[in-house]
Amino acid sequence: MPIKITVRNVSNGATIRMEVEPADKVCDIIDSAADFWNKDAGAYVLKKGKKLLRGSDTVAEINLVTDDVLEMIPDPEGGCRWGSPGLC
Amino acid sequence: MDLAVGSADGDRYDRQKRIWWMDMDAVSSARVLVAGAGALGNEALKDLVLAGFRRIDVADMDAVEVSNLSRCALFTDADVGRSKCLVAASRASAMAPGADVRPLESSVQDIDVWDYDIALGCLDNIAARLHVNAYCMHHRIPYVDGGTDGMRGKVQTVLPGGPCIQCTVNRTHVREMERRFSCTGGGSMYVPRMASDITTTAVIAAMQVREALKIASGRRDLCISNITYYDGSLCEMFNAAADIDPGCPNHTG
Repeated sequence: MPIKITVRNVSNGATIRMEVEPADKVCDIIDSAADFWNKDAGAYVLKKGKKLLRGSDTVAEINLVTDDVLEMIPDPEGGCRWGSPGLC
Repeated sequence: MDLAVGSADGDRYDRQKRIWWMDMDAVSSARVLVAGAGALGNEALKDLVLAGFRRIDVADMDAVEVSNLSRCALFTDADVGRSKCLVAASRASAMAPGADVRPLESSVQDIDVWDYDIALGCLDNIAARLHVNAYCMHHRIPYVDGGTDGMRGKVQTVLPGGPCIQCTVNRTHVREMERRFSCTGGGSMYVPRMASDITTTAVIAAMQVREALKIASGRRDLCISNITYYDGSLCEMFNAAADIDPGCPNHTG
């Protein structure tokens, strides 16, 4: 039975409602939300309350229930220029 | 330490010693690695030396570029083309008597001796972070990782026995790593030109050095549990707690 959750984009406060299944993984939720918002390639994490969710955990393992709110956070990588720069 | 009459303003660290948990002897004797001498590395070095750290190694293999100058307090126009870590080490050493900042002109992958008390990650990519994280975990060195992207930033404190950087990566991080390597191939790395500004850099580096002060002073209980995210456009911060990943190679075997 699908579980209806809300994913909040902390970058701009936007939210989406999503239907997830117990076997879906946290990473699947990140990918779907990033795709919906046309996010640039980059690293993201999901947080539930004060807890950072592991990408490999399933919806069942993290005990998601209907109306739970997850926050999607971009994971910043920068700090210095490291390695040989090139063009993609 | 005894206070001589009328001497408070003659002591460089008088005000810092008034923070009750600060152990300045431990701070000055702690061995610190700063991985990266870019924007975060510059700010971290400056703060470390001003805060009383004296034994610091800084690793970087890049040269100073004009685009670095808006965020790097230790570089000037005359330094363009020179080794980042040589310039940064020299300038930081001159900021306080007894400061010994040694340059390591190498990638983090080439650091042979991991005998540090604290490591600060001032890097710009996940692969380098995971490398430093793994060595710190192996040698039980507290690792304070910083990252920025425009007005956003984060600080993650990794203490021995606790969740590490590897525990918190997911397939979006892996995809990002692969994207960088696949762009150039041959083991070299594509480094995108990310948004960056000195105000965010200064906040994140300051938080990293504050974590280092806690660790050096024996107050790991005051450290971040485990990640602080910062949004400079709203001036907001929030913490997130991570768990150890049972499949993390740094926590098994």
